Amino acid sequence: MHSRKNQRDLTRTEKKRLVDAILELKRSGRYDDFVTLHRQYYVTDGESRPRPAHMTPSFFPWHRQYLLEFEKALQSVDPRVSVPYWDWTRDNTAKSSLWAEDFLGGNGRPGDRQVMTGPFAYRRGGWRIRAEVTDDHFLRRNFGRPSAPVTLPGAAEVDRALGDPVYDTAPWNSVSATGFRNRIEGWGIRGGRGIANHNKVHRWIGGSMAGAASPDDPVFWLHHAFIDLLWSRWQKTHPRARYLPARALPADDPQRDRIFPLDRPMPPWDVAPSQLMDHTRLYRYV
Amino acid sequence: MNPTSGPGEEPAGAPRPVRRAVLRAVFTAAVLAGTGGALAPVLLQGQGPGGPGQERDAVGPERFSELYKGREIRGTATTVVPAGAQAHAGTSFAAPAADVSVDGRTLHVMRRADGSYLSTVTHYESFPTLLETARAAVDELGTAQLSAVSPHTI
Repeated sequence: MHSRKNQRDLTRTEKKRLVDAILELKRSGRYDDFVTLHRQYYVTDGESRPRPAHMTPSFFPWHRQYLLEFEKALQSVDPRVSVPYWDWTRDNTAKSSLWAEDFLGGNGRPGDRQVMTGPFAYRRGGWRIRAEVTDDHFLRRNFGRPSAPVTLPGAAEVDRALGDPVYDTAPWNSVSATGFRNRIEGWGIRGGRGIANHNKVHRWIGGSMAGAASPDDPVFWLHHAFIDLLWSRWQKTHPRARYLPARALPADDPQRDRIFPLDRPMPPWDVAPSQLMDHTRLYRYV
Repeated sequence: MNPTSGPGEEPAGAPRPVRRAVLRAVFTAAVLAGTGGALAPVLLQGQGPGGPGQERDAVGPERFSELYKGREIRGTATTVVPAGAQAHAGTSFAAPAADVSVDGRTLHVMRRADGSYLSTVTHYESFPTLLETARAAVDELGTAQLSAVSPHTI
């Protein structure tokens, strides 16, 4: 059992240990395996393959297991480390200590968006990303996307999602107009609403986080720890609500084989959503 | 090095993008002749409530080539699917027969159930047309070039 803290409460030493453990995973090549895994399981609902990670009810449990695996890897380097969370409703500017020199470094520079500060700046020598999206090997950020500005989601946007008493709804994908899951995952609904919460945060950071190799930016983990915490808060707010769908969909439902109801094991770990409903045996949020 | 200008192209900072060819969101003879099979499912989907063309983002076979913020963007879609058609029935689309590039490098696109597109550059936001997808990618890229490496080989 370990604790996941709000990143704003980390001590200087805790930040350094976390950064060092991340850099060590990078050095050993294990970090990039996590980036690849995320890309591999990013299947859209325009495809007919199973999609465990995005545009799907198992968005929360899949990422919970993904974070657990990453945290396990970090702890194999330094057992005192855990993944902190970033409450972006509160620390919602580029001036947050999250982006300081001693933690994740700051925004990218104009032009090529290259992050020039902090331990993940390319010139520091410890953070070379694979050129899978652009030709560059440096981490990119583009806070707020000045070309078409976006802001980080506020508490009201999160509260709207937490207030939805239903976990997820048909058609169980990115066009589900109601349900906690897609209100947090945050796909825009045509003629309804724009992107929200989870997606909007990826968009606000921009650069690497906006693209197909988003875990290239270590803030990915802090963002998703907060998403994980929001799931936990939703469960507490609606104690009688359950993960949906609880059972396999009817045979004639096109989503039947593409999504993961409560007891269907998710790749690549063969862990079912039902095994991930309660994190309190494993870690707690403080 | 200024990647926003090249031989015969508009200088960086041109007041507005120069359209080399207009967006042709209509059934061209070439498309009809060449992709009749691909059109069939689209025509069927067009029979749905409201019909095609009701909203501005019902896309036809898209084809564009323009200079946007100094970058050459091109795109063609050989299948014709109205964005949003039967989205609520959970319709899926075949792998998009779309070919989009920025300065000659392939921009990989994926599709959502509502027919909109996302790209490897903008993975958490989708756009009704390939043109908007390409422009959004340019906005996000800044001066960067797309990777020459295909994600399918990684």
